[in-house]
Amino acid sequence: MQFRGQSVKENIGTSILRVDSRKKIRGEAEYIADWKFDGMLYAKTVRSSKAKAAIISITLPEIPEGYAVIDHRDVPGVNRMRTVVSDHPIFAEKDVQYIGQPILLVVGPDRETLYDLAAQIDIQYREEPALFTLEEAEAHSRVFTDYHYKKADPEKYFHKAERIIEDTFSTGYQEHVYLEPQGMAAEFKGDTLFVYGSMQCPFYVKHALIETLAMPEDNVRVVQTVTGGAFGGKEEFPSLNGCQVAVAAHKTRRPVVMIYDRAEDILCSTKRHPAKIRYKAALDKNDTVVALDIDVLLNAGAYNGLSPVVLQRAIFSATNVYNIEHLNVRGRNFMTNTVPSGAYRGFGAPQTIFGIEMLFHTIALKLGLDPLEYKMRHLLKQGDPTCTGGRVHETVKMPEIIQAAVERSGYYDKLRTNKKFQGIGIALFLHGCGFTGKGESQIRGKIVLQKCRDRVILKVSSVEMGQGAETVLRKIVANTLDLPIANVLCEKIDTGLIPDSGPTVASRTTMIVGGLLHDAALEMRARWDEGTQFEVSKIYEHPDYLSWDDETFRGDAYPVHSWGANVAEVEIDPVSYELTVKRITAVYDVGVPIDERALIGQMQGGIVQGVGWATVELMESEGGKLKQGNLTDYKIPTSMDVPDIACYFISNPYEFGPFGAKCAGELPFVGAPPAVAAAVSNAMGCAIRDLPITPEKLMETGHDH
Amino acid sequence: MVNGFRPRTLREALQILSANNCTVMAGGTDLMVQRARGFSIRPDFDRPLVFIEPLEELKHSVRENGTLHLGPCMTLSDLLRHPAVPDPLKEIIGMMASPPTRNMATLGGNICNASPAGDTLPWLYAMNAKLKLQSAEKERIVAIEDFITGPKKTILQSDELLTGILVPDTRFHLNRYRKLGQRKGMSLTKASFLGMAEISGNTVTDIRIALGSVAPRIVRAAEIERSMLGRYVGDINAAAAVITERYQPLITPIDDARSTAMYRKKVSLDLIRQFLETLSGSPGTGTKSE
Repeated sequence: MQFRGQSVKENIGTSILRVDSRKKIRGEAEYIADWKFDGMLYAKTVRSSKAKAAIISITLPEIPEGYAVIDHRDVPGVNRMRTVVSDHPIFAEKDVQYIGQPILLVVGPDRETLYDLAAQIDIQYREEPALFTLEEAEAHSRVFTDYHYKKADPEKYFHKAERIIEDTFSTGYQEHVYLEPQGMAAEFKGDTLFVYGSMQCPFYVKHALIETLAMPEDNVRVVQTVTGGAFGGKEEFPSLNGCQVAVAAHKTRRPVVMIYDRAEDILCSTKRHPAKIRYKAALDKNDTVVALDIDVLLNAGAYNGLSPVVLQRAIFSATNVYNIEHLNVRGRNFMTNTVPSGAYRGFGAPQTIFGIEMLFHTIALKLGLDPLEYKMRHLLKQGDPTCTGGRVHETVKMPEIIQAAVERSGYYDKLRTNKKFQGIGIALFLHGCGFTGKGESQIRGKIVLQKCRDRVILKVSSVEMGQGAETVLRKIVANTLDLPIANVLCEKIDTGLIPDSGPTVASRTTMIVGGLLHDAALEMRARWDEGTQFEVSKIYEHPDYLSWDDETFRGDAYPVHSWGANVAEVEIDPVSYELTVKRITAVYDVGVPIDERALIGQMQGGIVQGVGWATVELMESEGGKLKQGNLTDYKIPTSMDVPDIACYFISNPYEFGPFGAKCAGELPFVGAPPAVAAAVSNAMGCAIRDLPITPEKLMETGHDH
Repeated sequence: MVNGFRPRTLREALQILSANNCTVMAGGTDLMVQRARGFSIRPDFDRPLVFIEPLEELKHSVRENGTLHLGPCMTLSDLLRHPAVPDPLKEIIGMMASPPTRNMATLGGNICNASPAGDTLPWLYAMNAKLKLQSAEKERIVAIEDFITGPKKTILQSDELLTGILVPDTRFHLNRYRKLGQRKGMSLTKASFLGMAEISGNTVTDIRIALGSVAPRIVRAAEIERSMLGRYVGDINAAAAVITERYQPLITPIDDARSTAMYRKKVSLDLIRQFLETLSGSPGTGTKSE
């Protein structure tokens, strides 16, 4: 097999200084909160204090000169945020569906006055019965989306089963806690609307603006400002606050800026979907799982938004790295009167992969078998059918990955010699690279490379948001063209200047957009002497070995997968049940690393975020209100909580990835939580069925045991 | 909008307080959070502020005639560095908040904030600390357990300042402190345990137990402690469960965003029992501070 990149330097993985580090470390990067516009107004959002209610009346105080109130009546176009399901009102109309739902904005020059005005607005509600939990929503059949797929003949094999094992697992909310809270600004220059802000997907925001403002495409421009972390939290949400500031700028004809503080951000921005996953496993006479019945329930919150695609990834990841011949999989998004759930690193997969890893772990323990050996019995191999009846096209290096993880961690030695309250556990996992199903072929990402004498400008809509995209993309082009990195520049992320290469999501930036850039750079290299100034553009074509049917969910849900194994070691305090994650040994196949240090940064960050979700990041909603609504009560890991992390990479070049690269950004998140849970199970001698694993819950399970 | 006063001397501060109904700020790491309105907007204070944190007179610590005098306006970082501050208090402070917060937060602030989760309070209770309260006209000295009357409630009058913290300079061979938080750093306390004991030969000559965050106020039971004095260590080890049982009614925690009442209660009782079970006559065998 000939893979891309063969023709250029082989040391693509050798790390270079990140191109954005200097200005960020020196405090020179300008975030949207640093931007100033002539005559700008600030915006403050007035939000629902009720979980479900009809709005009876809104009484405004006297609005001073220079101030204004913006509500749904000011929306020139469609009062819904455009996304997969465009159901979230830009501003509430007759009713509210969750605490924190935006009703109106007050805008004006002085922020303190805005707070005073907002506090004086009197909103009368008529409260209505609300649903808050997955259990309540299921009991009332409040279903947004109901998906189903089937493989082979599960009924027959459940009928024939030697043994049927049932289990249920659940996971909680997670807040992104990007360093920079959400912030957007809008201004009109003549007839053209400019929207600036912290975001992952400039063209999502643009398309939302076109609909909500009812403006022609050519008169809407979206500019990404330096973005201080996103993790999915700035995938769809900026379309909402972006439309709000744009409507305000439209009405006032002044620049309008809206920056959230942390409490407001946590109150109203999207979260990881709380989930419940029910399994029924049919085992044959060799104790092999031959059929699975999987029922995935996600809490989508008050509006469905992009939850349907989260649900798709959740159910297409539900068999993880295992080849289960017969499958019956159902996935449902439920409506509750809580803050909408949305995109978050892993996009539904962490929930189901935690579930199936724990399922295999507990089945093995029940049967008195070694969990790892039991899992390995079911491993997918190249050429095997995927859960949706597609093929595993790539070489699967799981045996090597597992061997490396076991040896590097001393897994079996520690499994034998660990004392009580010490535990070790292993998780196997994969992540489907790029968009799910038809996503990539629908978006058809476009990129442009522009030669300007000895320099090359790359034009993409993939954004730098802290993950290293700008470094990686420039490096791919620079290495292909044999140019110094300083001679390869990124065009400003301004939809007026760049083509739509798709959103910065789904671990697609390096593999898909980087792949297009690599293609273009190869072409430019061949044509280098044609002139001092010319352009090469590329449009994504889905490789023709792939097939997908969106109606039946049959075919290749993903073009290729990245794979991994994590071994976690934990200690538990016998009196306080406090959990310490001591060490994570992580082995990944991401194809070929484009920049090893940047990649290790992604892996460490993903592991820590996953460990956080699995341990300290408890977020509960009570009566539609978040109990942990600030960073005093909602905890993410500090450096003191971070385990020793050792990362290893197994090279496995992908034919259609730049230099053989596959996806990487979400993979580490997926693997760490089930590894930690398996280790805790090992330490405590009990099953772990619920994340996060808090000392409070361990005390109860420890008791039962 | 409110006014702010920046007194240069303690005397000036006390005069300001006698003439105005003020909010006293000594570091502000709790107050600024409690009164925050939104970022880069002035917090919501309804009374004039007096900033006492810079007052040099309140920043000294000294050991004198068997009493440790701790300056109420010493920051937690000051205390961590100060030679007169005993190690058990440094251990506690080292686990509070983060270095930037410790650079601002003061010991007096932690006391006057009177949170059941105030981390220096169990130690001050266990050490029988006394507080000097001063106004322009008079001064009085009260025991810390009489100073704090409930969550966020003290007997401090609006014209008074906490100007001295007096701690009997008692040393214990055995010190055990446990702080339970949601994570390992920068965490508010779910529950805390402090046990200190002095053992002579095999006899308990002094023992103190204080618990934080498990009742409206710090839990310390002088009567239970007295009942252990003069007894053989082995007897205490054997009777640990029975003695611990006496703490049961005193520990009345709540469910909140950070933990559950059940967890707080069980773990506190287990920590008491473990401390009593492992008390031993020879220091260094498992009961030294962790």
